[in-house]
Amino acid sequence: MAQVGSGDVAKMAVLFERHNRGLFRYFVSLNRNRELSEDLVQDVFFRMLRYRASYDPNQSFTAWMYQIARNANVDQAQKRRAEVVGIDEFDDRRPEPASDAPGPEETVAKGQDVALLKRALDRLPSDKKELLVLARFQDMKYEEIASLLGCEVGTVKVRVFRAMRALEEIYHTLSKERTA
Amino acid sequence: MNCEESKMLLADYWAQTLSETKELEFDAHIATCDLCRTDAERLGALWTSLSKIPAEEPSPALRTRFYDTLAAYRHGLEAAPRASWKERILALWPRQPAFQMGLSFALLAIGVGIGYTARPGVKPVEPETQEVAALRGEVTNMRQMVALSLLQQQSASERLRGVSYAVQVPSSDTEVLSALLKTVNQDANVNVRLQAVDALHQFGASPVTRTAVAQSIGKQDTPLVQIALIDLLVDLKDKDSAPELMKVSSDEKIDAAVRQHAKWALGKLQ
Ligand SMILES: [Zn+2]
Repeated sequence: MAQVGSGDVAKMAVLFERHNRGLFRYFVSLNRNRELSEDLVQDVFFRMLRYRASYDPNQSFTAWMYQIARNANVDQAQKRRAEVVGIDEFDDRRPEPASDAPGPEETVAKGQDVALLKRALDRLPSDKKELLVLARFQDMKYEEIASLLGCEVGTVKVRVFRAMRALEEIYHTLSKERTA
Repeated sequence: MNCEESKMLLADYWAQTLSETKELEFDAHIATCDLCRTDAERLGALWTSLSKIPAEEPSPALRTRFYDTLAAYRHGLEAAPRASWKERILALWPRQPAFQMGLSFALLAIGVGIGYTARPGVKPVEPETQEVAALRGEVTNMRQMVALSLLQQQSASERLRGVSYAVQVPSSDTEVLSALLKTVNQDANVNVRLQAVDALHQFGASPVTRTAVAQSIGKQDTPLVQIALIDLLVDLKDKDSAPELMKVSSDEKIDAAVRQHAKWALGKLQ
C-alpha cells in the first residue's frame, strides 16, 4: 500500500470540501437517516483514500466517487438488515415530521407543493429514487449515470422518464389523500 | 418522429440537453401529439420542482470528525515505528494483496479510535500520552496543509474555506501568513480578499503582517478592501503605519472615501 503523503491529505481535504454536502444529500435521500448518512459520507472519503490507486484519470471522477458511495450504501444496508430485522418497515410507519408541512416559500408555482413532492420522492422505489437523486440533486450527466450504473445512456434516459411517471402517480395519490 | 422516439428524448428535453435539430423535431411532434405534450409539460413541471426541494445539510461535526480521522489515519501509517503494536503489525505486513487490504481496514479502525480520543471537547480519561500529543501536532500540521491547498483552489467558495482554516493555525505559521497576504493582494474575488483581511487579525503581532497590510492599501482597486485594511491597522494600533497612511491620504488616484478614512485613521493612531 502506498503511503498517505501530505499531498494525499491535501487532496482529500479539497475533495471533502467539494463533495461532502452532495454525498450527504445523496445518502439522506436514500436512507432518511442523518446520523447514518454522516457515517456513510465519512466512510466514502476513507474508501477513496484506500482505493485511490483504482481511480482511472480518464474516467469521470464523479462516477467513480458515486460508485464507491453506492457500494458503501449497499454494505451498510446489508449490515443493518443483519442487525435489525424490519427496520425498513419501521421507517415507513414513522409519522412524517412536522417540518414537512408546507411553508409559504415551499409552495411553488403551478400549484405544486414541494413538501408533498419530497414525500412522494421518499416513497419511490429505491432504484427510481436513486436515479432522480443523481440526475436532479447531484447534477450528474446521463452519460455519467450510465457509466456508474453500467448501462447504456439510452437506458438511463428511458428509466428517467419512467421514474418521473412513477413519481407523478405517487404525488397525485398523496395530494388526493390530503384533500380527502 | 413517433411517440416511441419522443419518449426517448423526454429526459434530455427536461434537462435541456437536446441538440438543436432534435429539439425542433421534438417540438414539432408535441405540437401535434397531445399525449406527448402532456408528458413533456406536466412531468417537466415536476422535474423543475424537484430542484426546489431544500437540500439537507450535514452537521458541523462531520467536518471535525473527518479531519480528526484524516490526521489519525496519516499519523497511524507514518509514525508507525513509534508504537510497539504498530511495529508488530508492520513486521507482519503480508505480501498478498488480499491480506494487505484487510490490514488496511484494521489500521483504519485503529486510526479512527485515536481520532476519537483526540477529539476536541472530549476530556481524555487517561493522561495525555505521547501518542496523543504527537497527534495534536499532526492536526495542526494538517490544518496548515488544508488551508494552503484550499487557498489555491479555482472556486471562490473553496478559497473562502481556506481562509477559515487559516484562522485555525498558530499565529507563528509564516507559510500560512504569506499565503493570506498573497490572497489579500491578488485574489480575484473581493469577498475572499475581505475575509482574508479579517483573518490577518490573528497574525497582527508580526511586523511582517503590519508592513504588508500598510503597503497593500495602495495596491488595492476596491475601496471596500482598502477601508478594511485601514481598519485593521487601527485595530492593531500600528503607529508605524503612519507614513504609509499619510501617502494614501494624499494620493489623488485613490478613492476620496478611502483617503478620508486614512486621515481618520491617522487621527486615531496618534
Ligand atoms: Zn406522441
